[in-house]
Amino acid sequence: MSLSKVCNRVDYFLEVFTSALMVALVLNVTWQVVTRFFTNDPSSFTEELARFFLIWIAFLGSAHAFRKGAHLGLDYFVEKFSPAAQAKIVKTILLFVVLFSVCILIVGGSCLAYLAWELDQKSASLGLSISIVYLAIPISGLLFLLFSAESFKNYSNN
Amino acid sequence: GKGHEARVLKLAHGLDAKHPVHLSMVFFAEQLAKYSQGEMTVQIYPSGQLGSERELIELIQIGSIDFTKVSASSLEPFIPKMKIFSVPYLFRDGEHLWRVLNGPIGKDLLNSGTPYRIQGLGYYDAGSRSFYTTKDPVNSPSDLKGMKIRVMNSPSAVAMVKSMGGSPTPISWGELYTSLQQGVVDGAENNLPSFYLSKHYEVAKYLILDEHTSIPDVVITGTKSWGKLTVQQRGWVAQAMADSVAYERKLWRKVSLESLAAVREAGVEVVVADKKLFVDSVKPIHDALANSEHGELFKSIQEVR
Amino acid sequence: MDISVVILISSFVALLLLNVPIGVAIALSGFFSLLLSLDFVSTTTTMAQRMSAGVDSFALLAIPFFILSGFLMGQGGIAHRLIEFAKIMVGRLPGGLAFVNILSCTLFGAISGSAVAATSAIGGFVIPEMEKDGYSREFSTAVTVTASTTGMLIPPSNILIVYSLASGGVSIAALFLAGYLPGLIVALCLMIASAIYAKMKGYGESSEKQSGQVFKKTFDALPSLFLVILVIGGIVSGYFTPTEAGAIAVLYSFVLSTFVYKEVKFKDLSGVLNKSVCTTAIVMLLIAASSAMSWVLSYENIPQSISQFFLGFSNNPIVVLLMINLLLLLVGTFLDMTPAVLIFTPIFLPIVEALGISPIHFGIIMILNLSIGLCTPPVGSVLFVGCSIGKTSISKIISPLLPLYLAMFIALLIIICVPTLSTWLPGLFSL
Ligand code: NA
Ligand code: NA
Repeated sequence: MSLSKVCNRVDYFLEVFTSALMVALVLNVTWQVVTRFFTNDPSSFTEELARFFLIWIAFLGSAHAFRKGAHLGLDYFVEKFSPAAQAKIVKTILLFVVLFSVCILIVGGSCLAYLAWELDQKSASLGLSISIVYLAIPISGLLFLLFSAESFKNYSNN
Repeated sequence: GKGHEARVLKLAHGLDAKHPVHLSMVFFAEQLAKYSQGEMTVQIYPSGQLGSERELIELIQIGSIDFTKVSASSLEPFIPKMKIFSVPYLFRDGEHLWRVLNGPIGKDLLNSGTPYRIQGLGYYDAGSRSFYTTKDPVNSPSDLKGMKIRVMNSPSAVAMVKSMGGSPTPISWGELYTSLQQGVVDGAENNLPSFYLSKHYEVAKYLILDEHTSIPDVVITGTKSWGKLTVQQRGWVAQAMADSVAYERKLWRKVSLESLAAVREAGVEVVVADKKLFVDSVKPIHDALANSEHGELFKSIQEVR
Repeated sequence: MDISVVILISSFVALLLLNVPIGVAIALSGFFSLLLSLDFVSTTTTMAQRMSAGVDSFALLAIPFFILSGFLMGQGGIAHRLIEFAKIMVGRLPGGLAFVNILSCTLFGAISGSAVAATSAIGGFVIPEMEKDGYSREFSTAVTVTASTTGMLIPPSNILIVYSLASGGVSIAALFLAGYLPGLIVALCLMIASAIYAKMKGYGESSEKQSGQVFKKTFDALPSLFLVILVIGGIVSGYFTPTEAGAIAVLYSFVLSTFVYKEVKFKDLSGVLNKSVCTTAIVMLLIAASSAMSWVLSYENIPQSISQFFLGFSNNPIVVLLMINLLLLLVGTFLDMTPAVLIFTPIFLPIVEALGISPIHFGIIMILNLSIGLCTPPVGSVLFVGCSIGKTSISKIISPLLPLYLAMFIALLIIICVPTLSTWLPGLFSL
């Protein structure tokens, strides 16, 4: 299977997964309001769960948005260069994205998730393992890396 | 000492620069500089600049900061035994609390974090927590019925308010002032200085001194930072910490009384609770605890005279 | 100033000019700077933790919720009906829809207390409608971005609560009262600036004048207007917090646009969800990275050393006040609002109190300065949200932003020079 096919599949899964999280987020917070309003036993886990969903949406969604080229940049100066120079600049940008995903997301995120797992850190209300929450970071890093590779290959072929 | 360069240690915590805890940490820094003759200096980051209590504990474990002060309840997810402090009416009074903390149980709890890369250094007084409400006064647990009370994000706090008859409602600390003001919740609970410093008394005009929990603050360091210190340096830290603890306990008492006077001055109606009613209302929690994994610890705390 | 500042700023500027995604540029420059103080593993782990902590906040949920409801309202006909209704009232004024935009952002920002929530809620449906009416997308976005910050001053406002805590004594109730007039003055200045700008560019003049359909348009807009009543009424009467109101708004606009107006089909929903995820994630990456960079700045004591450097120049009260404002504007461009308030309040408050400025007045000045910083590049969360929502780029939005910056700056000068604007209302209630 070619790289772009792999990326398409991964990206499709990512799209479905993050959309599902978004729906879950809305239902979860609605539940919080409903239980507080209509019962004397307000749900105590929804606040925590909502924050965890948001972290997952933020990191996984970032990788998805990266593949779409949707992240904000300052294109003002780069636009002034020739197309050949711009292609080189794009490759340099990709190198920095790789540096970011490897150092901060993959290494940093894995260390963080490992620390929480090793020390068995549990969330305050649900008792959920914090390492699961932090796992979103290295996974996002791997996705950034995959999509950077695809982008690099596309620019090299052209 | 010889051969050691001056070390700058980083201390971060979540309270503002006028809080007794912060002032006691400044005192700790001064004492440490004095004992080490300037070899060790402490730089303090107040107001949660470097993160929330949970995050600060992680930063201690990572080793990017050296000291922090956290509530014992923030240590629960890391050190399960710390759950014991969230039990309502665990201590008969302040004297009982300090006897436990200064005795073998307290010392053991301070050292129980080492497998989790956390080394406890000492306990600060964090007073007792009481309820305050916006619309109606509370005189007994039955008045809590139907009231939405904001609690900290912990199962023990939720269980306590439920047991007393109220509806425990988790609201983030940042949204609490406006939630009280707009009526999303009917009340909350905290210690006196926090009730005063958070300005919640501007919108919550009824305070009942039921003193349901006395959860101490714990000053911790990381085993990573601790391991970098020489035996002599550790001695200085322990000495400075002991001074700071004594200083904090005195200051806390003073500030609590001042806070109480200030909220009264601001028109808050203060009720001294008939504690027996409240103690009875949490009896199911005590009974359940006796048979749980922390039953032994609970029993030995009760036995301290 | 030490080497960590130099590394942080130079690497950030270099990465930015290269067109590296801003979130990545912010995170990497913080990372390079932190490497000077810590070993590699501690640095990476700390950066990862700070990024995650930056988005680990319940209040931030308002962003995905209002982005989603904004898209649903835009696609489902709610937005169009609301705008048609609004045009009945202001349609003929120059820049009428810009006024609608400013007033909606002010109202929503005031009630939700969050500028990013206001930008995502209002911008999401007003910007496309303004574009249909002949306004440029960039100008419409610029108006939304700047107007949304007025809600930081008009109560309830979370940032004023943070200031109260950092100042260790200023009453929140007093600050809340103090913010009303300055917030309205900023909104007024923005309206004047946009009216002039719209007149010069001829925006909004092409729209046809239909006066005969007042009754029908009002009637059509009723179910949509109920959304506004539901959200605002629910918050004000304490049924839910502003964040929770976001989820309710999503549900209501979903039901209205799918089952009542039937302008959103079930097969469109996945597209709407995906767009919302993307916009949310773009904003969240920026917030995560900015909050990590803010942490590094605090950790290295950079704000403190910069203030010492600047404040050492003079003892003249006017010069000092000018310096403080410049510093807040300058550092506000890099630092998040909450850490900026936490760090600068204890440094500046004693200085300005010695100059005879009341802490209430100073709080308003400080928040307004930092609000301007929220809309300025390179780091400004409201600007980022606006650009993502309005689908425009930072370089394109700058030119329509300039007159609006000027308006905010004039408002700032007025508020600094006339302390009564801030202290009169609290004084009335003897606070
Ligand atoms: Na507001
Ligand atoms: Na800015």
